[in-house]
Amino acid sequence: MANNVTYRPELVEEGTILSVENLKQYFGSGSFVTKAVDNVSFKIKEGECFGIVGESGCGKTTTGRSIINLYQITGGSIFYKGTRVSAGTREIEEEIKAAKKAKDTEKVAQLREELRARKYDNAHKDQDLTTEIQMIFQDPVDSLDPRMTVADIIQEGLHIQGMYDKASNSAKVADILEKVGLIPEYASRYPHEFSGGQRQRIGIARALIMNPKLLICDEPISALDVSIRAQVLNLLNEVKEEMGLTMIFIAHDLSVVKYFCDRIAVMYFGRLVELASSDELFAHPMHPYTRALLSAIPKPDPISEKNRVRKVYNPSSAHDYSESKPSFREIAPGHFVLCNDPEEEAYKKEMAEIDAKRGEANE
Amino acid sequence: MEKKNAAMGTIDYPHTVGPVPEGKEVVLSVRNLAISFATDDGFVKAVRGVAFDLYKGETLCIVGESGSGKSVTSKTIMGILAGNAHIDSGSVTYEGEDLTKIAEDEFHRIRGTKIGMIFQDPLSSLNPIAKIGKQITEVMITNGNKVKKVYDNLINAELIKYKNDLRLLQIAKEEYKFIKKNKSSTPEQIAEAEAHYEAEKARLTPLIAEDKAALAAKKVEAKAKVKEFVGEIKARHKAKLNDLFAKAKEDPEAKKNLLANYISERRRYVSELKVTHKEAKRRALKIMAEVGIPHPEQRFNQYPFEFSGGMRQRIVIAIALTADPDILICDEPTTALDVTIQAQILELINRLKVARNMSVMFITHDLGVVANMADRVVVMYAGKIVEYGTAMDVFYTPAHPYTWALLSSIPDVDSKEKLEAIPGTPPNMLFPPEGDAFALRSKYAMGIDFKEEPKMYQISDTHYASTWLLDERAPEATMPKIVSTRIENSLRKAGMKDGE
Repeated sequence: MANNVTYRPELVEEGTILSVENLKQYFGSGSFVTKAVDNVSFKIKEGECFGIVGESGCGKTTTGRSIINLYQITGGSIFYKGTRVSAGTREIEEEIKAAKKAKDTEKVAQLREELRARKYDNAHKDQDLTTEIQMIFQDPVDSLDPRMTVADIIQEGLHIQGMYDKASNSAKVADILEKVGLIPEYASRYPHEFSGGQRQRIGIARALIMNPKLLICDEPISALDVSIRAQVLNLLNEVKEEMGLTMIFIAHDLSVVKYFCDRIAVMYFGRLVELASSDELFAHPMHPYTRALLSAIPKPDPISEKNRVRKVYNPSSAHDYSESKPSFREIAPGHFVLCNDPEEEAYKKEMAEIDAKRGEANE
Repeated sequence: MEKKNAAMGTIDYPHTVGPVPEGKEVVLSVRNLAISFATDDGFVKAVRGVAFDLYKGETLCIVGESGSGKSVTSKTIMGILAGNAHIDSGSVTYEGEDLTKIAEDEFHRIRGTKIGMIFQDPLSSLNPIAKIGKQITEVMITNGNKVKKVYDNLINAELIKYKNDLRLLQIAKEEYKFIKKNKSSTPEQIAEAEAHYEAEKARLTPLIAEDKAALAAKKVEAKAKVKEFVGEIKARHKAKLNDLFAKAKEDPEAKKNLLANYISERRRYVSELKVTHKEAKRRALKIMAEVGIPHPEQRFNQYPFEFSGGMRQRIVIAIALTADPDILICDEPTTALDVTIQAQILELINRLKVARNMSVMFITHDLGVVANMADRVVVMYAGKIVEYGTAMDVFYTPAHPYTWALLSSIPDVDSKEKLEAIPGTPPNMLFPPEGDAFALRSKYAMGIDFKEEPKMYQISDTHYASTWLLDERAPEATMPKIVSTRIENSLRKAGMKDGE
């Protein structure tokens, strides 16, 4: 690396494309602070599809937007291909204030050093690297400028990168339109001339033209009609395989996430409560919130629907964190749950019981 | 009453609904309903011959994608169609009357009070600058003038007869204007329409004059009666007050309580004349508790923005329930909500349905929600019913290719097979396709599908579908494997449950 941006080669060696460490995103200031994302950490391997689920307001969209640097993050770091692409400074500044009050000069100096490094990283971001992360937005109507033609919308990213060659740009646009299942002639039209599914395809084309390695899909199908959803899902699957994309798939519909993703993270009120491979999560949902979420999925199956028992999650009665604070722990290989010591024991025991029962049923 | 309107093209829509099963009572029946919207580009045929019955105490789900005409159907039932809508044919019968033909004055007595409706977006259906309490009690207070109610009830029959006759004349006139304006109508058609209008006018004008005279007479009579009624209440009130004052003069103890007694008597008197704010609040709090809003006392004085999406939807349901309706129409009430909140709202609607013995018409595009709610399902596509039957029929023995496609296009929690997406987009209803509307997107389409519209084929006593595949001449067609495996799986699971 030419410059001195923080670089962690071990992340590249283990095949991690994106590493989110203690990500914090707070909104507001003083006593009115909303902790939209609070201490979230995860790693995404190259080529994998990572799902984030949770109810609205749990911070899943904010996480996605923080990764792509639409917000200045409050705390934590985001590493892409081993290079720090985003670092939170506000948290360090607060810490410096606290340390100054405590007259801990040594700590102040140390923190200042850290702050300087973070600010340096933020200022010397590698543009070529960050354009490899692209995003697809939820609402295909709102996310397209009504006064731009499809071609303008799609090649805007190229312009930002300083590529102004008209001939090569329009060739690229035609290419990408074909890839997402539209006709190149559509390039001169305006967004209002398209149906919802086609607009979402334009949104996908806009992301794909930058040749991304990591694609963040923020509820790409929840604003679409039922019959169109499957088309868009299949399209995403195709481009994923064709371009070898890594994906972060944000949704509140668990059945879609289960269908699409290799690993699933469940978020609740800004925190990750459970993280496991999708099969594992559905086989052994451990955190009570995950269970509540799973029990709420409506299935197109009247018999099981009419007998469904919905579980209710009430954080104050489900957990007793008065004695020991919870942390994010690995209770089985690759299966993380937010829990404290007694809960960890209980979860492990329960998991064994479920396995035993299933074994009996299979015999 | 069948209206022929050649200018609109064919109007002979199939409308079989099958017999009413024993023990079921029909509360609402829709027959042969066709609605089009006049736009600059021509007529958008949103609904093209829909017929179904709604039974007492059941939930009927209408499924279909946007533009399939499901919302338009429900809006017709509520009588809240947009101004450019035109009812081409058909009827909506409720309590022996055709809701498409009655006067607005009569609809006031049905809309909201007998048929309630919940809309899709709970944020936009509440007033952002009015307190929740005000919005819930608004209806009760506006309709709370008891004296006016007595008067209205006295003149009701005459008023409605008068207004309905006026409305019939208006419909005839509109129809004539409509045909006259339509560029594709021939001079003969216009002449015919004019003759029809003149005939109606000749028939109805004396009737209307008669009605008007009868109404005026009844009004005089009713006014006298109301005066008597109010006079009685006033006299009673006066007597009681006099009694109070007389007692206060004699008894010092009573004198002390005079003010309190005076106020309470005054309140009683007012509550005899109208629904007071206090009474409305008491009723509102009860309903708020019923729909599961915690701390109703406190919530009563809050604004909509202080509520979460689920709570807002509960408020909307509470408002719909204040009038104690027979039929509740829910137009995608959970589409804007999260899965967990959605499950709560669905449970709430189910609970209220049983507790109040309501009939629910539930409009959605989510098949999972349908499976949860429905007793019977109507599947709509391009303004037509393509399949209907009980939930069991439609989910476990689906017969129409569109139902198959819907079932195969949603991801299943238990499998990771490639989804079978429905190719293409819904047809443009300015130019509705001939024959089976779904044929263009269906891989099961046959030659006849593009020429002739299939009739409703009966599969079982309760199950009907409109597809040529059910014709005896059609080749054997089986549903996609992904659907049949899912059905097998869920039936097997259910079988295991029965075994235990």
